[in-house]
Amino acid sequence: MIQVQNVNHTFLIGKKGKEKKVPVLKGLTFEVEKGEVVAIVGKSGSGKSTLLHTIAGFMSPEQGSIIVNGQETVHLNETERAKFRLNNFGFIFQNFQLMPRLTAFENIELPLKLKGIAAKKRKTSVQLLLKKVGLEEVADHYPNELSGGQQQRVSIARALITNPPILFADEPTGSLDSETEQDILLLIQDLNQTMGVTFVIITHDEEVANIAHRKFRMHDGELVKGDTSNVI
Amino acid sequence: MLFKDQVDFVSQHIKKNKLRVFMTVLAATMGCAFLIVLASIGFGIQDTMRKEILEDQAITEVEVYTNNGEALDISQISEVEHVNAIVHRTSMDIMAVSQLDERSLEGNMLLTNFVEEEKSNLQLSEGRMPTKENEIVVGYQFAENLLTDAERKEMEKITEEDAEPIGGYKESLIGKTISMSMQSYEMDEAFPEKWDFTIVGVTEKPARDWFVDTNMLVDESWKDKFQEVYEANAGNENPDLFYSSTKIYTSSLEHVKSVTEELKEMGYSVYSVSEQLEQLDVFFMAFKIGLIFVGTIAVLIASIGIFNTMTMAVTERTREIGVMKAIGASPKLIQRLFLMESAWIGIIGTVLAVIISYAVSFLANWILPMVVGAALGEDEFQDLSMTFSLIPWQLVVIASVISISVAMISGWRPARKATKIDVIHALRQEL
Repeated sequence: MIQVQNVNHTFLIGKKGKEKKVPVLKGLTFEVEKGEVVAIVGKSGSGKSTLLHTIAGFMSPEQGSIIVNGQETVHLNETERAKFRLNNFGFIFQNFQLMPRLTAFENIELPLKLKGIAAKKRKTSVQLLLKKVGLEEVADHYPNELSGGQQQRVSIARALITNPPILFADEPTGSLDSETEQDILLLIQDLNQTMGVTFVIITHDEEVANIAHRKFRMHDGELVKGDTSNVI
Repeated sequence: MLFKDQVDFVSQHIKKNKLRVFMTVLAATMGCAFLIVLASIGFGIQDTMRKEILEDQAITEVEVYTNNGEALDISQISEVEHVNAIVHRTSMDIMAVSQLDERSLEGNMLLTNFVEEEKSNLQLSEGRMPTKENEIVVGYQFAENLLTDAERKEMEKITEEDAEPIGGYKESLIGKTISMSMQSYEMDEAFPEKWDFTIVGVTEKPARDWFVDTNMLVDESWKDKFQEVYEANAGNENPDLFYSSTKIYTSSLEHVKSVTEELKEMGYSVYSVSEQLEQLDVFFMAFKIGLIFVGTIAVLIASIGIFNTMTMAVTERTREIGVMKAIGASPKLIQRLFLMESAWIGIIGTVLAVIISYAVSFLANWILPMVVGAALGEDEFQDLSMTFSLIPWQLVVIASVISISVAMISGWRPARKATKIDVIHALRQEL
């Protein structure tokens, strides 16, 4: 499903003219199978977020190839990447990243709007998903009227609404208390099992990583060998 | 994204920033309204001047003169393409005294050819064109100036300029027979010869209120007889007794220019309304362009507000734009949404400006004549049909194109900026 081959990337840090090259991704190579839950773990600055950004197409790596669903994504232009993301990816962010001016319902339906789906069809899909994530009661609420857990459920529903084959979760429970964290993790597991969605989870939390079928540990821009075994 | 959803998206953002958007729309409205009202003065003055010119004469009329006083070669002129009629009117340096029962009128007599007059589209308020030698057409005010001696004396007592005419012939003149005699300006008595003429037509009311038409139009075949009578009574030959003017009528306005040019090539002195209008139009074209240019500066000043508002909108929504891009919104869509927002400001501003401009124009045309009249102390000024401000649809189109284009151009840069927002950077922004 996802093939990452020899991906290298360097950041330039420092004042203009006196920049220093800092390698953040060093020859990464791995694969993610369809229906898998994969966790990429590592400390802050290990390069795990940069890895997610390159796979998701938010940025291009300096070297290497990323093939998603048989499509090489590194050389796509901005518009092609946006379209690719819309059709193939869903995103769950640590800070939920909901639109503050849209209700829970409107936030969830946004990707369908971007796909140009008619209002009637959108309504049916959103209502089904609201039921699945247990948010029917708060559909008309704005994000600031929802709890952290509810906001993350809205965020998950928004990520799932287009039925993407791959879902990226960047520290999905980073802003939640431990009880809510458990709810969200159970939801992710449920969605993986019932809908067969492939999850790529970026986390520094071992408890979150433990729900993954496999986990990749990153250190200083490299994958630590011998730590890609199945954990479940 | 469906167009309807794009509109909904934009209107949602506008609603959230009502005050800021309102102030920007207000600035756009003021700029565009200033442009329209300023240019409308040019259109208004031009319209007034055109009306003045067109009231003086028919638009298809071309006056022709020879340079050396020779007679016109009518047959040559009649061969010119699109010449519809050649009206050769001859007036006499003598008074024509008309008598109807006890009423009389001292007026002018014009000798003409009625067949050509009919072709030139001479309009009658009643009756028909003469077909016989002793049938005539009289001016619109002929009847009201047919006075008895008592009425004439009473009229002389009244000194007020705008006094209503006293008496006059109240019934229709059609079919009435008048007795006409000639009287020299130097003599107190009319010549003894009298002719009877039957009135069969009355001309249309003159375009100008102050113009009094008491002329008699008589068939040109009478010319020799009148000359004989004049010579017999005055005892001398008057070489200037008759003076003529020739007017050519073209089949339509568009042919006036070609006929005018052809006659000029033949060596005639020519004057037509199209020449005057052409000069007027060239002058006013430059004048209006100048006014629109000055007005556009106001629109440009308003555009700074639009630029500012849109830049603020993009800056405020950086994180939202980042999220949109992350979940699959294309840069083109982001750009379109912001351009739609600035276009919306431009369109609403323009619509309001057009409405306000029409109101200002109406008020100006209503109040300004009164104000100017009062300031100059002339009551008559109020009665003049002077247009101070005129907004034709062309001006609305020009102003709308300028205003909406300027609004969209000012929104262009912020919209481009929105498309360039880096997703990773935007997602890291604080909530």
